[in-house]
Amino acid sequence: MVLHGEAQTINFRDKKKKHTVDWMGPLICHCLDLMSQVCYSAQNLGFHMYPEPLLTKGETKVNSNFKCMSYPGLQRPLLTPPAPHRPQQEEDVSHSQISVSGEMEADSTGGNMGIKAEDVEMAEYPFEPYIESLRQQLEDQDPVFLIAVIVALAVVVITCVFLKYFLTSKTVRSAVLLVGLCDSGKTLIFSRLLSGKYKRTQTSITDSSAPYKAKNDKATTWTLIDLPGHDSLRSQYLEKFKSAARAIVFVVDSGIFQKEVRDVAEFLYMLLTDTVISRNAPALLVACNKQDITMAKSAKLIQQQLEKELNTLRVTRSAALSSQDGSVGGSVYLGKKGKDFEFSQLPLKVEFLECSARGSKGEDGDADLGSLEKSLAKL
Amino acid sequence: MLDFFTIFSKGGIVLWCFQGAGVTESFTGPVNALIRSVILQERSGNNSYTHEALSLKYKLDNEFELIFVVGFQKILTLTYVDKFIDDVQLHFRDRYKNELEQKGALKHLNFNYEFEDDFTMLLREAEDSSKARGPASMRTFKQSEKSQKTVKSMIEVKGGDKAKEPVGKKNKNTKKEGECSKKVLSVPQLKLYLIHFDVLILIFCHPTHSKSPKPQKPRKKQMRVWDMGGSSTKDLDHSYKNGNSNGDEQNMEAQINPVCGRSPSVQSYYVSCGGIGGMFGMLKGLVGSKSLTRADMESVLDKMRDHLIAKNVAAEIASQLCDSVAKKLEGKVMGTFTTVASTVKQALQDSLVQILQPKRRVDILRDVMEAQNQRRPFVITFCGVNGVGKSTNLAKISFWLIENGFSVLIAACDTFRAGAVEQLRTHQRRLNSLHPPEQHGGRPVVQLYEKGYGKDAAGIAMEAIAYARNQAFDVVLVDTAGRMQDNAPLMTALAKLIAVNMPDLVLFVGEALVGNEAVDQLVKFNQALADHSMTDKPRLIDGIVLTKFDTIDDKVGAAISMTYITGQPIVFVGTGQTYNDLRSLNARAVVSALMKA
Repeated sequence: MVLHGEAQTINFRDKKKKHTVDWMGPLICHCLDLMSQVCYSAQNLGFHMYPEPLLTKGETKVNSNFKCMSYPGLQRPLLTPPAPHRPQQEEDVSHSQISVSGEMEADSTGGNMGIKAEDVEMAEYPFEPYIESLRQQLEDQDPVFLIAVIVALAVVVITCVFLKYFLTSKTVRSAVLLVGLCDSGKTLIFSRLLSGKYKRTQTSITDSSAPYKAKNDKATTWTLIDLPGHDSLRSQYLEKFKSAARAIVFVVDSGIFQKEVRDVAEFLYMLLTDTVISRNAPALLVACNKQDITMAKSAKLIQQQLEKELNTLRVTRSAALSSQDGSVGGSVYLGKKGKDFEFSQLPLKVEFLECSARGSKGEDGDADLGSLEKSLAKL
Repeated sequence: MLDFFTIFSKGGIVLWCFQGAGVTESFTGPVNALIRSVILQERSGNNSYTHEALSLKYKLDNEFELIFVVGFQKILTLTYVDKFIDDVQLHFRDRYKNELEQKGALKHLNFNYEFEDDFTMLLREAEDSSKARGPASMRTFKQSEKSQKTVKSMIEVKGGDKAKEPVGKKNKNTKKEGECSKKVLSVPQLKLYLIHFDVLILIFCHPTHSKSPKPQKPRKKQMRVWDMGGSSTKDLDHSYKNGNSNGDEQNMEAQINPVCGRSPSVQSYYVSCGGIGGMFGMLKGLVGSKSLTRADMESVLDKMRDHLIAKNVAAEIASQLCDSVAKKLEGKVMGTFTTVASTVKQALQDSLVQILQPKRRVDILRDVMEAQNQRRPFVITFCGVNGVGKSTNLAKISFWLIENGFSVLIAACDTFRAGAVEQLRTHQRRLNSLHPPEQHGGRPVVQLYEKGYGKDAAGIAMEAIAYARNQAFDVVLVDTAGRMQDNAPLMTALAKLIAVNMPDLVLFVGEALVGNEAVDQLVKFNQALADHSMTDKPRLIDGIVLTKFDTIDDKVGAAISMTYITGQPIVFVGTGQTYNDLRSLNARAVVSALMKA
């Protein structure tokens, strides 16, 4: 059994791999077909080469132009692959050729096949002179070397295609992350959204994830991931999941917001200045939780306070010391220089909403997550 | 007797809980405190924790990602709790194996774990078993083995052997009396011997009463034979026999350092012997899922412990860390193509990053601004042992602060060391020349508050803070004298300074070169601060300044030791002696340097 957190990353990788296989499968098959066809044609060339001095009747110009490169050692393995072609070629051959084959009976059967195959091919391919010249050039070389070159070319082509695919494709982003400070109610929201039940919770030390069906017409499902909020675990779990985030739900404890405003703002600042997040620009929903407490602040007030705080943080964070190996933290500047910070200045879509995971009626009642569910449905 | 028992997943959802009769407080608080201080700080070596009046014991189930916690009153000593937790864990796992094996968090949400009856049954069993054994009663003399022995058998004779004759008492007594009558001892001496016969070791006895002695070998002193001492010196001459001598040396080295490597001959022998069987075994170990046991991890953990110690992590910290990682991994099922070594290394790396991440927000500039709004100065105190770089780093930090537009007052509370005040004055002059007063509103950005030598440091600090408040300085940096951690009067003086002045930030300055000493220093400093404070919540060390970081290449273990001991973040890192050599800590870089081979 795989680790819980690991299982989720493996799911993402599997999804990517599935797409890869879907797309690459046919391509690989095509390449292999091409390779095999060329190989077979090379083998057929080998056939031609061997019986050249034995050909008497039915000789064409093509044959006489060939240089004799007989590799008796190779004949045996080369004999077997064209076996499926043999019956067809035998059937196509006319009676005149049977007489030729009758003459050749004393010779190796490979010679017969060679002649017949060659005749058939001569009949089938209209653009013969091009093939002749190609064969002439190919035939100059060692067939083993030819095959090796072809294999190498095919590998290079496949690698180029792979690289192109992986570098330019966007990773599939289908996760909604629940982040926030410790004790803000993330795990309870997680439980309510998925099952509607109230569960007692403790401080999470690992992430939990489960598929969530949105309440919209299309009934899209994505993965809802609940990350631990403790300071020492926050950053490592965020690192793991931020590239797969399609939306981030930032849960704020509205009851004790006044005391924690600096910590909340610092976490939010860290989220907004992260390079991966600012590049992907997922939707940010700030859920002001615990509205059932009487002293809870409203979403509007929280928004104003956070804007003020982030305004100050822009200055202090950019003046922070660089780390000891020389790297500087996120260098994204929030908002517009010279103007006070506002959430509307961000490239991300930020929305503030109120909710209460516990619900106004206590543990047995329903949660008041309507606005949150509506916003999630709009994604 | 138990206050509560909870079973919850590592993701935070409580699966089942039990609250003892008469207990009204919720257990969420204590359990959260347990998680935050023990599990998240990697102190899960010992499995008990006390929080106020409660004592908590816990057990981690790593296969299904569950945590079992039991809480009871600290004053009770319940002996059955350890075994009880183990029983409950096994029972729960067996009963809900199918549900727990499903992946995803939905299983916890949707399923209702009805564990009440099993739990009460197990609890009753555990309580009964603890009461069952009454106090062991003492054996009577008749039951002991001693009564079965004869006196004669306990007497040691030179060259003879001790014979145990389980004869009845009457026979013994008669024999003894008969024996004694033949002795040439006086009556009181006899009585003494009779009473203390069990203490006697050597008595001369009549030879007729002893058994026939074994044929004795003449015990002569035997000549000692040395291994390397041959009769001729030719055996000892290793000069020209190059092959032989090399082989011998290698074998000896192999004996001395078995960990470092084996001699080539031994290695090749091992490979040829193990051969194909070993290869298949290795492959089998890679593929397939099996759960980790202590024995599997033992060798890897030992290697990691040695590696950490080689990287300057304090020895006891390294062993505690390895224990904690072992506890976290025990019973976990590995995925395919993962070896034990890679799993353990990854877990150790994660724990190290977790330890180095600050547990609270670290933003000095923001806090200074906050204090500015409240119209009071922000006070930072520097403490540490002698010669770690307090004054130098104080100057660097004041440079950083004035670069960001704050005004700084330096309080020279080092009234002991010769030249301390002059050193700070030189720094002040330099900083003022870098940021002349004309550019900052006519007022010097850095000022020094000093009262010379020999005065009381706490008093100077108090006056300096009052002066700063009057003159509207933004930050006060208090420089104290370096002191050894076991110098009691000096530690008391430091504790008094901090308790009286209540600074906003108490920074412990430690050098990165320190090894095992770091543990001792920090523990004693914290202890002194806690002992001599007058309030319930004593001001302990709030942050660490790690200095002389440029002198260590990748032996960065001191950072781990210090953060592990205190649980406080490293706020500044000093990397040189100029004003610009001040950095913040990058946890990932430090951990990668630490885990690098």
